[in-house]
Amino acid sequence: MSDTFVPAIRVDEVAPGGMKAVELDGREIVICNSQGSYYAIARRCGHMNAPLELGTLDGEIVTCPMHCAQFNITSGQALCGPVPGDASETVPPLLGAFLQRVDELMKQIRTESIRTYATKVEAGWVHVAP
Amino acid sequence: METESRKKALQYFFDKIVAPLGFKFTPDVELKDFLLEQEVMLERKHGIPFCPCQPLRNDRARDMRIVCPCIPFNRQYFDSMKRCWCGLFVHKDVTDPDSLPQLPASDVRP
Repeated sequence: MSDTFVPAIRVDEVAPGGMKAVELDGREIVICNSQGSYYAIARRCGHMNAPLELGTLDGEIVTCPMHCAQFNITSGQALCGPVPGDASETVPPLLGAFLQRVDELMKQIRTESIRTYATKVEAGWVHVAP
Repeated sequence: METESRKKALQYFFDKIVAPLGFKFTPDVELKDFLLEQEVMLERKHGIPFCPCQPLRNDRARDMRIVCPCIPFNRQYFDSMKRCWCGLFVHKDVTDPDSLPQLPASDVRP
């Protein structure tokens, strides 16, 4: 993480409870507006790399759109792993076998915490130290 | 994943769900802490924070009815006791959860 802050987005680009993805110095970063405070987190989920800005932000907790893994946006800490799918759902046998295999592989995947970046608001812009 | 952070997160989400239903977390802090910790353990094992005092039956439709907070699925029963069956949630007016009666479900369910 660098000490140099760079302007990322204008403060009015993200409403409270919203998120926006940006690319700064080659890093994919999501700016989160949690009740008027801005936080910057790595864009990729610590489980399977899904883009977190497409998920939901509730308070300081972001939920991944893919398997619902959750992270604290202030610390980047992983709070929970993926939510299991409905194994009892009726699907064609071939698809069922595929999903079962994916499920087995998913059990081997650890949900890692995500990186956070320092932010500051200056002159109507959210600055991030990527 | 750290247990304390997850407990806080579950408390944050549950509070939003149970408050409109007329419930709150038990004022017994030790019990609340213990039950939330058990739910974190269950979530780690199964991916879902099931009620810590109910058995899983490997029947998804039935098991999903004991995902915490399971108040909407057992409303009549919990309202009659002013608490949920494990005691994590009590009616908003309850200050002394130990004084609440525990009733067999068969006495309440139609």
